[in-house]
Formats: sequence, C-alpha cells, structure tokens
Amino acid sequence: MQGQATQIIHAYKQAPWRIQRQWIGAFLLIVIGAAMIAALYLDVTARAAVSGREIQELRIEITTIQRENADLETQLADLTSTDAMQRRAIELGYRPVLPGELDYVAVPGFVTPEPAILLAAEDTLPRAQTLPSEYTQSLLEWFDDRIRFGGPR
Amino acid sequence: MRQQYAVRSLFIVLGLALVGLAVIVQMVRIQNSEQAMIFLSQGDRYAGEFQMFYPERGEIYDRNGHLLAGNQTVYEVGVSLSEIENPDSMAYILSQYLGLTYDEVYKQLTESPESWEYVVIQDYVGMETAEALQQQVKQLNDADDSRLNGLAFKPHLQRSYPENALASNVLGFVTRDGRGYFGIEEKYNDLLAGNPVQIWVPRDPNKASEIPRVPNGTTLVLTLNRDLQSKVESILDQALFDYGAQNGTILVMDPRNGEILAMAATPRMNLNNFGNYFSLYDNGSQYNRSIGMAYEPGSVLKILTMAAALDAGTVRPDTTFIDTGSIEVGGITIQNWNRDAWGQQNMIGCLQHSLNVCLAWISSQMGTQTFYSYMERFGLGHPTGVDLSGEATGRLKVPGDGDWYPVDLGTNAFGQGVSVTSLQMLMAASSIVNEGRMVTPHVLYSMVRDGHQYNVPSQYAGSPISPETARTLNEMLAISLEQESSQALLPGYRLAGKTGTAQIPTDYGYDAFRTNVSFVGWGPVDDPQFMVYIWLESPTTSIWSSETAAPVFSQVAEQSVILLNIPPDAVRHQLATK
Repeated sequence: MQGQATQIIHAYKQAPWRIQRQWIGAFLLIVIGAAMIAALYLDVTARAAVSGREIQELRIEITTIQRENADLETQLADLTSTDAMQRRAIELGYRPVLPGELDYVAVPGFVTPEPAILLAAEDTLPRAQTLPSEYTQSLLEWFDDRIRFGGPR
Repeated sequence: MRQQYAVRSLFIVLGLALVGLAVIVQMVRIQNSEQAMIFLSQGDRYAGEFQMFYPERGEIYDRNGHLLAGNQTVYEVGVSLSEIENPDSMAYILSQYLGLTYDEVYKQLTESPESWEYVVIQDYVGMETAEALQQQVKQLNDADDSRLNGLAFKPHLQRSYPENALASNVLGFVTRDGRGYFGIEEKYNDLLAGNPVQIWVPRDPNKASEIPRVPNGTTLVLTLNRDLQSKVESILDQALFDYGAQNGTILVMDPRNGEILAMAATPRMNLNNFGNYFSLYDNGSQYNRSIGMAYEPGSVLKILTMAAALDAGTVRPDTTFIDTGSIEVGGITIQNWNRDAWGQQNMIGCLQHSLNVCLAWISSQMGTQTFYSYMERFGLGHPTGVDLSGEATGRLKVPGDGDWYPVDLGTNAFGQGVSVTSLQMLMAASSIVNEGRMVTPHVLYSMVRDGHQYNVPSQYAGSPISPETARTLNEMLAISLEQESSQALLPGYRLAGKTGTAQIPTDYGYDAFRTNVSFVGWGPVDDPQFMVYIWLESPTTSIWSSETAAPVFSQVAEQSVILLNIPPDAVRHQLATK
C-alpha cells in the first residue's frame, strides 16, 4: 500500500526544473506588475505636473488679460472723452445746439430711460473651475474610485 | 568543490545583504536625523511663497456709463543684480529711457547692499516707455549683447482718469499707495479698493491649486451727468474770466431726489498728475469749495427766512411793510443794500428788491425761538450728509452761544453772521422746490458688485415747511424774478430764484470792496427738474449778484434744459395734454 502511494507521488511530482521555472515565472509576474504600476504612477504624476504647470501659466495669462481689459477700457474712455468728442464733432462741422433749435415730439408710450445698468448680470470675474479629480487624487484613490464606482466620482 | 562554491556564494549574498541593510539603515538614520529636519524646513521655505492678491480697484462711471475713473497698466522696472554684466552701459541706457540721471541709476546698480538680489530702478513707468525699453532689450538679446541682462519689468495697475480734470473736485484721487483722497475716492475707498487676499502659492506644479477668488473692488455709478458737468465747468471758468472772480462753484441738483447732476468748483486739477495738489490748494477744504468751504451767503438766505415766516404764519405774500430804509435790532441799526427807503412793499417786493430791513423786521416779528428753530430745521450748522469726504458744517449762532448777540436775529435773516456751504443752501432750498420736503443730496447712483447693481435710494432730510408754504414761496420767487427783469431768466421757461450779494467778513469787520455773489434758482417752476446754486468769490467787474451770478444761472439753466431734455413750458404743456 505504502509502495503504491510512493509510486503515485513520484508519478505526479514535478521535476525540480519545473518548480524552479514556476518560481521564476511568479517572480517575473510580480516584477512586471510592479513595473506596470510604476509606469502608471509615473504617467499620472507627469500628467498632473504638466497640468499644474498649465494652471500656473493660465493664472498668469488671466492676470495679463485682466490688465489688458482695464487698459482697453481706459483707452476707449480716452477716445470718447468729452474733450475728444467735442473736438471730433467740431472737426466734422457740428456746433452746440441752442434751445430754440430743438423740436420736441410726443411719442406715445415713450418713457424717459433710466440710467442703464452697466454690467451684464453675471459674474465677469475669471474663476477657475474645480480641478478634475484626476489631477488631485493619489494613485490609490484613483484605483479605489475605479474599483468602487467604475470611474471618477 | 560544488559545496565550496555554495559557501562562497552564501558569503557574497550575506555580504551584499549586509551592505544593503547598512544602506537602508543609514537612509533611515539620515532622514530622521536632526539635520534632516533642518533641511526639510529649509526646503519647505522654498516650496512656495505667500502672495498677496490685490483686487483691481473698482471703476467710477457717470450716470450714462461714461468712465470717469479706471485703471491702466504701468511697470516697475528693476534689475536682478546678480545678472548684471555691464552696469555702466545699463545705467546709460536706462537713464536715456527713464528720465533719470546716469549717476542715479549707476549708484543704484553698484552701491546697493550686498544682500540685495533685486533693485527697483523706477516704478509707475508708462506703457509706451516700458514697451520701447522692452524692444531695446529684445534687439540686444537678438544680437547676443548682454548690456541689459538682468533687466526686469513687473506690470501692475494704476488709477487712471480718462477725463483728466473733469469733475476732479467730486472724484478725488488715488495715490500710489492705493489710498483714495478727497471726494468719492476717499469716501468709498474701502468699497473701491476691495479686499486683498493672501494665499500660499506652491512652486511645485503638482501642488497647483485653484485660483483664489479675489473679487474686484466695487464699481460705482455716480449721479453726475458727464456732459452737463463739462458744460457747467466751462461756464464757471468763463464766468471767473468774465467777472474777474477768484474762485467759484456751481451745483446742479435734481430737486426731486437729491441727485447731484453737476458739481463744478475751482481750482480743478488733472487727476492723473495728483502731485500738483500742493501747488493748487493751501488746505483740504479748498479741494471742493461747494462742500468744504462755508461762507456768509447773503441775500439768498432770505428765501429761508421768508419760508419760515410764511410757514409760521408771521406774514403772508400780501402782508404790507413800510420800508423806511433802516431798522434797529438789538440796539444796532440795519440798512438796505443801497441804504435807500423803498416805501410800501408786500412780501414779493421785499424779495424782489432784496430788502434787508424788511427781512430783519420779519425775523424780529417771528422771534428768536421760532426763527432759529426753522433755521435748524433747514439744516444750517449741520452737515448735509452728502456722500463726499471733507464736508464743512458751517456755523449758525443761536441764542445762548457766547458770540450770539440780539442783532444777529436781524442780520441772520438776510444771510449775514451765518456761514453755510453752497450745498447746505441748495439742500435747504430744495424744501421750497419739493413740496416742503428737503432732500439729502447725494452723488452715488448705484454700486455694481459681482455683476449685480444696487441702486442707492433717495433720502429726505425732513419737512421744514408745509407743501402749501413751499408752493406759495415758489410762486413768489418766480414772480419776483420776472418782475425784476432779471438776467437770470431764460426765454421759454419759467424759473424761480434769488440773488445774494454778501460782504466778506475779515478780522477787522466787513470788507468794503469785496463781495461773495450767489444765486439759487430752479425750473421749470410748475415742475422743477433742476436746481442750481452759484457762488462766485470776489468778482471784480461788478460786486452785485444780479450782474454776475444771475446771468451765469441763465447759462446753466440753458444747458440744463438742453442736456436734460426739458422742453419749453409751452411745448411741455402741449405734450402733456396729448
């Protein structure tokens, strides 16, 4: 009976070189897995760095555009200032009107306009949207999101 | 043999393992050492910096959306000292562009403390100069010329006034430290400046965070009408020239709501060159004379005395007064402006001929308590509450004050011995125009913040007289102006008003040759849409208001009806019936 059992073990026992290869395979699997994770981590980190840099550049650009807006408004105001408009009007042959030269016409339903609202009723200030989570979460958080929610929350 | 190799291999493995372990131990030891903590804290110091984000200062517009105060880019020109290769050439080039001397620049470049890495050569450099200098830098760089190496330009915003001196007395100005002085800029400095935000900005792109929300300063919309303001300033300047006056003010207000439509005063300064302030003004009260300087207004104050007397029932329009040319009040004799006796007069005649004796009699009839009670209710001696900085209160002496004498009851009635600002008089007179209700003058129409506009409601400062009294006096003043054939009249429009000529008090009594001339008027009488107050100081061509301030009023009224779209009375009545 015992001899029979030994025969079966010998029959199914793998050769030492097979076991060695399996160990090597497992080790390589771990190495490749680690390499993949490292590559992924590097990729995400690099992308986050690039995005961060872009954010910094956009911030500078926003400041520049704000200044340019202010400059353009002031330049426009310079061009349409009282002195400039009067000078242009005189150059074009106009002169100040006198009270007797005005004709008043009744327009049914006309209401004297109130001073205009100057700005559109919306926030005109540049404001960054909240950063996508890809740029702020760690690799583990990213995995966690993928596994639990199938994507970013 | 094979076993021998195995032992050697084992030793090698153990040796390498020991080396590896030693490396790891050393790494852990170094990372947790005291020195490591110091290095880490030093590293943290350079990981980013606290930056102060200053909001853009709010703009100021007139009621029709014309920009009166904005912002424009200027540059700080500086040099990174460690990058300079040729300070001699750099000093020469910069002195050519920046208007500095060679020595000034060279000294900054070479004699700055050693610990300095950067030195500012000049700030607030205009865009044109900076761009020309930047072009020069580019050309030199392209030619591999290092003479301007290390030159840096830091742009930032500076207050700008596209209309230069227009409404300068109302707007005030902003100095380079960003603080507003005088007028709107000072009164609403906190709103305009906004709130700076300080945040930590990391240098590591991985740690880039959201832009902090730094709301711009509040934008202000004023009640001023830019075109009317411009016209009124022109009229004032011409009046000073024509009548040889030293200074003057003209106010135009909507009596229905207290909105100041124009506020001109002299001298004015180009707000973009606020450094001229000290050469133009001796003190802050001169910056806007219409609110900052109180003076004895003279006969324009008679309308308040008459309003009080009518309201108190002391007199009626047809009350008769026999003018003998003088009256004694408190033991002092008071005479008319021309020392004549004008005989029998009704109250319209008293106003029309501006009789001091008549008005002194009226105040005497009213008594001190009633008279001063009304003057207090008209706001004399108190600030109007206008939303501009630097308002003076004037002075109304009342019984009980150490310097009040019984004769003051008589002289105060025709505007002597009492000091007011132009705006105080305008506000008091608004009760006559506005059915007895006195409006609080204001310059702010609305505020715009985060895209929302908040309008400023009008405020009333009490009702010193009844609507009936106001209507009666309104009509009396219109009639007196018409009967006088005044130079203040404007064809096609029925106007009301009153002149005022006042001697100027000095330390030695009243000046015999110099006067302050004033005029308060409004129109159209049946539907007043504008009120005007004029004050000219020491005119030389004539000392009388009727010959100086009155024609100025007519000119201002003419421009007001054009720019405010007020048709002639006949047309207006015709349009109203349609």
